[in-house]
Amino acid sequence: MVFVCRFVSGQNKQLLYDFSEIPQSLLINPGTETDFQWYSGVPLLSGISFQAGSSGISVNDLFANDGIDFNDKVRDRLINGMSPKDDLSGTYQIELINIGYRGSETDNFYSFGIYNEGDAIGYWFKDYAKLGFEGNADNLNNRFNLGHLKTRGEILNVFHFGVTKEIDNKLTFGIRGKLYSGILDFTSTKNKGYFVTTEGQNNLLANTISADLELKSSGIITLDHVMDGDSSAGDMIKRGFFGGDLGLGVDLGFTYHLNEQTLITGSILDLGFLYHSNDVLSYSLRGNATVEGVEIILPDAINDPNADFWQDLVDEVEGLVPFEENRKSYLTFRPTKLYGSLRYNFGETVQSKGRLDCDCNVSGGKSNRAKYTNGVGGQLYVINRPRGPQAALSAFYQRCFGNIMAVKTTYTIDKYSYSNVGLGLNLQAGPINMYFMADNLLAYRNIAASNYASFQLGINIISWGKN
Amino acid sequence: MPFYAFFLSLTICAIMKKLGIFLSLITLLLCVVSCIEDQDFDQYKDLSVVPVFESSILYLESTEDVINNVPPGPFYSQDFSFNAFSEAVFSDRVLDGVITYEIENTTSKPLSLTLEFLNDADEVLDSESFDIDASPSGTLQRDVVYGNTGKSLDIIKNTSKIRVVAVNNGDNTSTSTISPPLVVLKSSGKFSVRVK
Repeated sequence: MVFVCRFVSGQNKQLLYDFSEIPQSLLINPGTETDFQWYSGVPLLSGISFQAGSSGISVNDLFANDGIDFNDKVRDRLINGMSPKDDLSGTYQIELINIGYRGSETDNFYSFGIYNEGDAIGYWFKDYAKLGFEGNADNLNNRFNLGHLKTRGEILNVFHFGVTKEIDNKLTFGIRGKLYSGILDFTSTKNKGYFVTTEGQNNLLANTISADLELKSSGIITLDHVMDGDSSAGDMIKRGFFGGDLGLGVDLGFTYHLNEQTLITGSILDLGFLYHSNDVLSYSLRGNATVEGVEIILPDAINDPNADFWQDLVDEVEGLVPFEENRKSYLTFRPTKLYGSLRYNFGETVQSKGRLDCDCNVSGGKSNRAKYTNGVGGQLYVINRPRGPQAALSAFYQRCFGNIMAVKTTYTIDKYSYSNVGLGLNLQAGPINMYFMADNLLAYRNIAASNYASFQLGINIISWGKN
Repeated sequence: MPFYAFFLSLTICAIMKKLGIFLSLITLLLCVVSCIEDQDFDQYKDLSVVPVFESSILYLESTEDVINNVPPGPFYSQDFSFNAFSEAVFSDRVLDGVITYEIENTTSKPLSLTLEFLNDADEVLDSESFDIDASPSGTLQRDVVYGNTGKSLDIIKNTSKIRVVAVNNGDNTSTSTISPPLVVLKSSGKFSVRVK
């Protein structure tokens, strides 16, 4: 993957979505139908996920040993080949604690926990790269768009508590409240302006900058102190436990049976915000200036023999386009995600572990729904990104092998890949549940040429039954 | 050891063992199916980033009245700081370049303009002189190359001041029929800079 660790954004977990045998599916849709009595994730191991993607070029595009001049590859494939809409993005998530239990009223299932999440995206800053690679000399009248700088990222801890309620035989609804504790944040997404070189009015050339740029950050100072050894790592950890920025959010989800074998699901995640008021450091560059070099106009210059023309020019530009630092609090909205699916179940019916004590009935009443060995359908995923919503469409097939194993395979198209085939495996060994899921498997034929990679794994202890 | 601690230890051992087997199988599977074509990351060393930047440097303008106000001879002389070339970000990286001058004289007298490039110790590193006929004389253009086969690049790297001397080689009574009568010096620099 290109620059795997440079930009880490909301991960499409299409394999985990609606995989109701796995407790972590509740984190993607709090309205998932489950029949656990209780579960407990193994701390730090219950949910580990990582994703990285580049919608532009891959490592192979640049570093393949193909005999093509490296400078040609950089110019043709990177500088000129990528568009400002191409991004480098990624996310990771590590569950610290995840516990769920069925309430005394068996239609209610409660789940809570803490997870740490890092999420970032950086769009290709095309015109900045072009200016840096070529310069302005042969680009007369070509406006370099300063709005191409668009990036954001965050690391935070999320404390959550959710309730999943089976409303009736057809509808299950879930809600999850979230408390965000921000550790680190940077955002620079509303930049505007340009730099252009034109024929001058007085002199030969005029360089003009019109800038409205801002980079906001929180937690960077603490991180800097930790890196320098002036602070301990504990200071960063404290920020993740309500010592930094705070925010609120909510997840909503549902499962609705259109008929016995067909169901639709949907969820909206991270509908929330973070208020950054702690350890804030922001920079801005705003204003307009045109420079045509040092100007000496007589007789004015004779009347001011001590004039420092160079310093006057520098001061004038700095006055017109000031580079400023501030520590004002700011608000960011979380990258909200939307999932939806249509699923058709078929094949043999199997008795779920949760219904061992039930008298199962295919047309059954509340909490007596039968489980089928096969499921097929489609899923939609949309995430709110700095350049607007970004969508992925998946087709899936899921099969259960008794109550021991279940597999799910997906085919996904999105801006990163049109050939993303993923596979998820869920194993149940007594009370111990393990799952592993990986995406874009075809890309493993040449991992360096891959534009996308993603995996999720975890281990839980589950007790079944709605007793 | 209390019973519950013993039980917990056994449970954790069992989980870790199963997890170890599980992850080993997954790792083995990925190792078997994954491939990578030959990559040459040393290619990065071949990357050459040499942008070319250009900008105006100096603009000088004088009316004929200013020239006529003083006896024939020098009518303007000024040293001023010019740190654009000596900034480390530029001087450490500049490879070559060219300075372009354009002079237009619409006054009624022949003039001389001299630009001297000075270092921090006020030593003259280089000078460029222009003799301009009285109007109509058209536009005088001159390109001065630095680096490669041109003048020493050290001139540019060490320049921190520019001296301008303007001399009237004619009378101080005549007036040009062209309006407005001016002498104008325009200049710009175009330099290659090694970034990588």
